[in-house]
Amino acid sequence: MLTDRDRLVKYGSIITVVVAAVLPFLTDNMFIINLLVLMLIAVIFASAWNLLAYSGQGSLGHAAFLGIGAYASTLIAAKAGIPPLVTVFLGGAVAAFIGILIGLTCVRLKEWFLAMVTFGFAIIVQTLTVSVLAPVSGGWDGIASPRIISASVAGYQTIEYYIVLAITLLSLFAIWYIMKSKVGLAFLAIRENELEARAAGIDPVRYRLLAFAMSAYLAGVAGALQIHHIGYLTPELYGAENSFWPITYVILGGLGTLIGPVIGTVVLTIIWEGLKETGMTFGRYVIIGVILILTIIFLPRGLVSLPEEIKAWREKRGRRAGTETQIPAK
Amino acid sequence: MDDISTFLQIIFWGLYAGCIYILLATGLNLIFGVMKVVNFAHGEFLMIGAYITATIFLLTGINPYVIMLVSMLALIVMGAAVERLCFRPILGTGKLNEIFLSIGLIYIIQNGAAIIWTDEWQSIRSPYNGITVPIGTLDVPLDYILIMIITAAILCGLYLFIRKTTIGMQMQAASQNRKGAMLVGIDVERIDVVSFGLGCALAAAAGTLWVVSGQVFNPYIGSIPAVKAFAIIILGGLGSIPGAVIGGLLMGLAENGAAYLLGGIWKDAISFVILIVVLIVRPTGLFGEKED
Repeated sequence: MLTDRDRLVKYGSIITVVVAAVLPFLTDNMFIINLLVLMLIAVIFASAWNLLAYSGQGSLGHAAFLGIGAYASTLIAAKAGIPPLVTVFLGGAVAAFIGILIGLTCVRLKEWFLAMVTFGFAIIVQTLTVSVLAPVSGGWDGIASPRIISASVAGYQTIEYYIVLAITLLSLFAIWYIMKSKVGLAFLAIRENELEARAAGIDPVRYRLLAFAMSAYLAGVAGALQIHHIGYLTPELYGAENSFWPITYVILGGLGTLIGPVIGTVVLTIIWEGLKETGMTFGRYVIIGVILILTIIFLPRGLVSLPEEIKAWREKRGRRAGTETQIPAK
Repeated sequence: MDDISTFLQIIFWGLYAGCIYILLATGLNLIFGVMKVVNFAHGEFLMIGAYITATIFLLTGINPYVIMLVSMLALIVMGAAVERLCFRPILGTGKLNEIFLSIGLIYIIQNGAAIIWTDEWQSIRSPYNGITVPIGTLDVPLDYILIMIITAAILCGLYLFIRKTTIGMQMQAASQNRKGAMLVGIDVERIDVVSFGLGCALAAAAGTLWVVSGQVFNPYIGSIPAVKAFAIIILGGLGSIPGAVIGGLLMGLAENGAAYLLGGIWKDAISFVILIVVLIVRPTGLFGEKED
């Protein structure tokens, strides 16, 4: 049985994919294609963060995995001469490995201790990158990163767009599959009540680590894609701002849902770029902050829940109008 | 001889940094103790306090140590407003929500400050700039000594406030048992506003001490000290003010020692290395309680 919401999601997704597939035919403006590529990468990153939050773990340092994936992929591509399209996934694997290591320290922690540790972890990784690892990472100056498709190929940006689109869809499909599977159920059980989950035979530590590994993997892939697309990599990728963006996207769209991060990323990117046109600099961040706080207070389940909220509000209003008309009849 | 003075220098730097952390961590402890709220945007109040003191000082030339009181009052008002508008509506909906809301606050306050004061690095010169007091082989700037005395005075004042006044005792009651406090007729929501305001005032004091020491500041200085203050609270025990004092001093000393031994770049990272190592050994913190 499909409910209204399922149907909406189904047709909405099909339309979105079709629109995404034909977009490059509608414009040959390189600026817009570039923006779309970065937006798709942000969708992967936000979805990765969301997957971790789905298991009840809120990370404040996901930029660490973004950066690790980017550095690993770039260095492997540069030193071993493997094409970036392959190293992107190797970068993700390195991020996943380190994700498991940091996950090991995190899985037993309370939610806000975990937020602290992940935030600190991003700072530690950044410090390592610019100090001990500076000979290979290039320190604060950064290093050049090979492009996914060489700039000498005709229409390389459009080809990149389709590659990134394919990886994004693949990632979303994988996350959908995980959420529907027993693993996803286990995540939910742990998030809602760890004690009961344990009573039902779910090992919270194992599943939390799994969530960490998968989330770090996708974040690493996103970071690698972004850096191979831009062509240059600096330690600023580890900055707190990059850790906060996915949170903002996911909260606005709808925490713990598959399409929430997609909607949140698209809507915020449009708002962000629209505000850029007005010439705002700091004001843009203030507006994003206000949007974030208003969403948390007034629409805690995000934009995804907007249709339901409106429906509920209408019914409530309808009922109230109904009782009002009944009163004089008495 | 040179080694000893370097060593003393590090200790003094550490004690100074420790004072800032103590004030931040104590404020956070007050807020967490009473409301159980995790406010990651606490450092932003330090930054606003710093700017208020610096701006009034540049406009009027009044002694910045006096302006500190104005700055603290202003932050009580700001803190009360933030508590009412942002944290009150989501109280009890989960720690993650509070953290996400703090991120929104960080965006707003940092960039709001950047709109008002630009994001350039600034600094002011305290009226006691250049005056030093010889301690052993070291000439310690008078400002540093004043900063330590003021921190100690604020902590004593706070201790008396919490122990001796009615509101202070109500705060203790609310932090020990919120429902019980409600049952005996304490207006818990008012206590929330008071403790949040007080916490922010302590952050403003920390901000003032930051600027009078001659350190540079911009709208983004607050975040890292605030997160470190959280690390101190985790290490020193939730709700424990002595824990915050000792933890703050140790953190200040540890990071300045590390900056000297490993290079300045490690100053921020070392506090988190300590935090992670401690949490691996004891996931509930050094003096952590089992319950949430």
